[in-house]
Amino acid sequence: MPAARKMRKPDIKMVILGDMNVGKTSLLHRYTERSFKDTLSTVGGAFFLKQWGPYNISIWDTAGREQFHGLGSMYCRGASAIILTYDVTNWQSLVQLEECFLSLTDSANSDCIFAVVGNKVDLTDSYAQVETSKDVGPEESGISAAPSCAAPPHTPTIHKQVHQEDAMALYNRIIVYKALNEGTSPLAEKMCFETSAKTGYNVDSLFETLFELVLPSIIQKQARAKSPTVCLEEYEEKARKRKPDCCT
Amino acid sequence: MSVKAFELVSAVEREQLMGEKVRITIECIECCGQHLYVGTNDCFIYHFLLEERTTTKGRLAYSSQKLLQKYLGLKKPVAELKAASALERLIVLCDATIALVDMVTLEPVPSGGAKLKGVTAFCINENPVTADPFCAEMAVVSARRRAVQICTVHEDRVQMLKEVATPEQPCTLSVDGYFLCLALPTQYMILNYSTGASQDLFPYDSEERKPIVKRIGREEFLLAAPGGLGMFASAEGISQRAPVSWSESVIGAAVCFPYVVALDEGFVTVHSMLDQQLKQTLSFREGHILQDFEGKVVLASTKAVYVLVPLPLEQQIQDLLAGHRVEEALTLTEGAQRNIPKDKFQILHKRILQQAGFIQFGQLQFSEAKEHFRKGQLDVRELISLYPLLLPASSSFTRCHPPLHEFADLNHLAQGDQEKVQRCKRFLISYLREVRSSESANGFREDVDTALLKLYAEIGHESLLDLLASDNACLLADSAPWLEKHNRYFALGLLYHYNGQDSSALQMWVRVVNGDLQDSTRADLFEYVVDFLSFCSNLDLVWKYADWALQKDQKIGVQIFTKRPISKETTGQLNPDEVIKYLEKHHQALVLYLEHLVLERRLQKEKYHTHLAVLYADRVLGLLSRPSATVEQLSSAREKLQRLLRESSLYRVQLLLGKLQESEVLLTERATLHGKLEEHDKALHILVHQLKNSTAAEDYCTWASEDHDPAHRQKLFHQLLSVYLDPDVPGGAQTMEAVDLLNRHADVFDAVQVLELLPEAWSLTLLRPFLCGALRANIHARRTSQVALGLARAENLQLHHDRLKYRGGPVFVSEKRGCQLCHNTFREPDCVCLPGGTPIHTHCAAQRLQDSPTKRRLDHGHTSNHT
Ligand SMILES: Nc1nc2c(ncn2[C@@H]2O[C@H](COP(=O)(O)OP(=O)(O)OP(=O)(O)O)[C@@H](O)[C@H]2O)c(=O)[nH]1
Ligand SMILES: [Mg+2]
Repeated sequence: MPAARKMRKPDIKMVILGDMNVGKTSLLHRYTERSFKDTLSTVGGAFFLKQWGPYNISIWDTAGREQFHGLGSMYCRGASAIILTYDVTNWQSLVQLEECFLSLTDSANSDCIFAVVGNKVDLTDSYAQVETSKDVGPEESGISAAPSCAAPPHTPTIHKQVHQEDAMALYNRIIVYKALNEGTSPLAEKMCFETSAKTGYNVDSLFETLFELVLPSIIQKQARAKSPTVCLEEYEEKARKRKPDCCT
Repeated sequence: MSVKAFELVSAVEREQLMGEKVRITIECIECCGQHLYVGTNDCFIYHFLLEERTTTKGRLAYSSQKLLQKYLGLKKPVAELKAASALERLIVLCDATIALVDMVTLEPVPSGGAKLKGVTAFCINENPVTADPFCAEMAVVSARRRAVQICTVHEDRVQMLKEVATPEQPCTLSVDGYFLCLALPTQYMILNYSTGASQDLFPYDSEERKPIVKRIGREEFLLAAPGGLGMFASAEGISQRAPVSWSESVIGAAVCFPYVVALDEGFVTVHSMLDQQLKQTLSFREGHILQDFEGKVVLASTKAVYVLVPLPLEQQIQDLLAGHRVEEALTLTEGAQRNIPKDKFQILHKRILQQAGFIQFGQLQFSEAKEHFRKGQLDVRELISLYPLLLPASSSFTRCHPPLHEFADLNHLAQGDQEKVQRCKRFLISYLREVRSSESANGFREDVDTALLKLYAEIGHESLLDLLASDNACLLADSAPWLEKHNRYFALGLLYHYNGQDSSALQMWVRVVNGDLQDSTRADLFEYVVDFLSFCSNLDLVWKYADWALQKDQKIGVQIFTKRPISKETTGQLNPDEVIKYLEKHHQALVLYLEHLVLERRLQKEKYHTHLAVLYADRVLGLLSRPSATVEQLSSAREKLQRLLRESSLYRVQLLLGKLQESEVLLTERATLHGKLEEHDKALHILVHQLKNSTAAEDYCTWASEDHDPAHRQKLFHQLLSVYLDPDVPGGAQTMEAVDLLNRHADVFDAVQVLELLPEAWSLTLLRPFLCGALRANIHARRTSQVALGLARAENLQLHHDRLKYRGGPVFVSEKRGCQLCHNTFREPDCVCLPGGTPIHTHCAAQRLQDSPTKRRLDHGHTSNHT
């Protein structure tokens, strides 16, 4: 793990949450190592430093096993983005997100960004079965769920238990739960992904969309670190976030 | 995946403590410098002096000497011992009570202040908030109290400062500054005892497993988490490092950077904080206590005490490298940066990078190797020296010691796999090229360039020639035999040349051209050598090899002389006369050389022109006398001769005329020569009557009058006409030719003169083009002159106008006024004005004009002016 060797201080934190076996470690591995390999169920957690332009982003992979759920809250503390991961072939994994994992994110930053990610879509949708070596264009990321691409005739796939509408509904409930401003939060269409760590489908797009969205956060954080006067602004911003705009 | 990071060394043996008493066990330990204190379950405190020494085998060993043992008299186990060395006190927890004893005598110190009873746990603040060095800060947990008491310990008393409430009763705790890190029965939490702010960390069932809270540095704690995890938590409640994975039964843990050491029922495990990997496992039975004291990790079983001695970092790194675990070795090195002085670290880091590079090189991971060589600023000769014979014999290089790698040389590395050897060689080429283009070859460019040359030569790389042709530091003495061995004679020549040994270079090349040596680098080597000679400033060499070149091929060989750059400098210049003399025996080359002088360089020397003309003429004559000569040969030879005769006017005409006189064929040439002598009649005669070629005759007229005025041209054409019309020749007048001539060149002739010449009998239609042309030309001439006249008049009038304007008013002439010149009065109004408007008599003006030298000017400037 050469990237971890450099003891740089991360500028911002991202956390991947989700039930065991949904493919969190595989997703991170696919993104950082550009490959898919056999994984062991994660113990505790692990993290990876990603250089994104001039910034260092730490991405935490957490353990989905119930035994470790208690640690989630601590991992999420101070996080700027959280990836809630489920398995499209497993309805329970989506339910778990809301029932177990959502409350763990309470310790994240108030302006934390959420993404809901359905992994293993290669098992259910033939268009995600093609090994992608190149980046998926960013414009594709939002609509990737729609199987609009001419799907080649393919062998029958596993039944898809979770459809993207369900994920989007969850996303919208998260926004409400977090009392986030629905007008300013990114839209469900943008923040719900279906991915395959196995083929790489939509994986880059997921991480890159999030990086771009947390960028303002980083800049704000750095500005704050530089000049103490910006603190006021932060306070104001928090205050504004707390009570949704009544005029709209 | 193991590293030997620590060694278990015995410190206090069983015999020194309880001997054969089975029921007595160690309860707690404290270590402070060389002083080791051991508390037992039978209420004894033992004081040992722990001395460190190095055995003959270079290992660290401890010998302990029991200084004192003290019974506290309570029949209860000594639960905890903490030293406050500045106060010379030991804080003792026994029978749920905290007491102070003297560190040296172990005598109880009667203490005033708060009585701390019912204590279940306490800890010392290693990052105290008070500035007083003679007091220790302590956090205490008491039974059945949901609170932590903050106390200070002085020489003779314990003072309670504060009590902070906690949600549940803490089981164990740690403190850093104002931050308390608590293990509650169901969870861990951070509590700031100054502000009261708290932060939940994560749930943990203390009933099930004994919690561990360990301060590992400023505002950072290590906690036992569910599933046998070692979690890191900062005072803000954030995890900044990934957890390490222990067993579920972990008893104690400590940090000895960069390792986390943990003790469980059967083992001591060592994880790296840098990559969370398990690095070492030491079997340890009946483990009981594991604690670190000022960086020293001490372990105790129920009966004996041990020290976990870290192996020197460098040795650990070398072990990793020996196992080819490059990334881990580098991680460990870089992780140790903050523990090593900067300059020492840099040396170590560079060396590890270089070693890492060689390991990867050995695995043929060239791009990684290159990166590490670059970062480690490897002396490139280390790499070169792996390749047999590449370093010049004269190189002063010796490999660094201890060696950076395990390879004797490339063959050892490749184990006879030629494919591997080739890949390594290709890598070295690319690496050396990069080194050359960067500045890092400074100081040993000779070694680098020579090595590169050898590699190129060996595999026949095309860049060999580029290397030699550009700025390089290849060592001649070392490279020459190598190039010879690999039959790179052409390159060897270049090397000689680069080293100023042109004569050796030429010798080499000549042998290749002659076929004595085999080197197919250049198919056109002969041309190359000729070209080389043409630029060679050493004239002796030029003369030496000119003969050889000319004998081989005159046409190419002569380029030695003809391609020579012409410069103002006199050195290195060849005297053409000398060259000509030299070339006498190489006829073809001589002609080419003279052509070069006359036609290209356009030297205006009669000698060269005549010589060339004579050679041309000889050639033509020679061909004429040879029946086998083809038409083409002849015509091309004549073409050359004719051109020279026509275009040059420097050669000796008579001489050539004499030469060509004999031949009946070379009429055109003779005509040209006559033309040069202005003997146009003779020339025309030859052309018309002997050659009978009217076109040639006409061309002659055009050529001969080229640089003359139209009158001369007219004269020549008239001459030709009269030749045609001459009836006194055999065959009579050549009427048709005459007509053609007239019709074709109507404009050249004086029509009137021609008409007078022509016989009356000629029909008009025959001469129609001529007449039309002539008429046209005449009319054109007339009209043109009329236009010119008109324009001149207009200009003149304009000038008059201007002049009048400048002169101003009228000129007054009266009978009383006198002429300025003759002083007689005017009798007629006609007068002439001098410049300035003075009137004079017209005749006076005429008179004066005639006398004046500036007659012409006045002619134009003054005309009579009537008033
Ligand atoms: N077909 C398919 N299998 C996947 C995909 N992602 C992960 N898997 C498989 O799912 C299993 C679990 O993957 P992990 O990445 O270890 O899951 P995890 O979420 O990290 O699990 P925990 O660490 O236990 O929380 C492995 O067998 C993977 O091979 C995917 O996109 N497609
Ligand atoms: Mg995992």
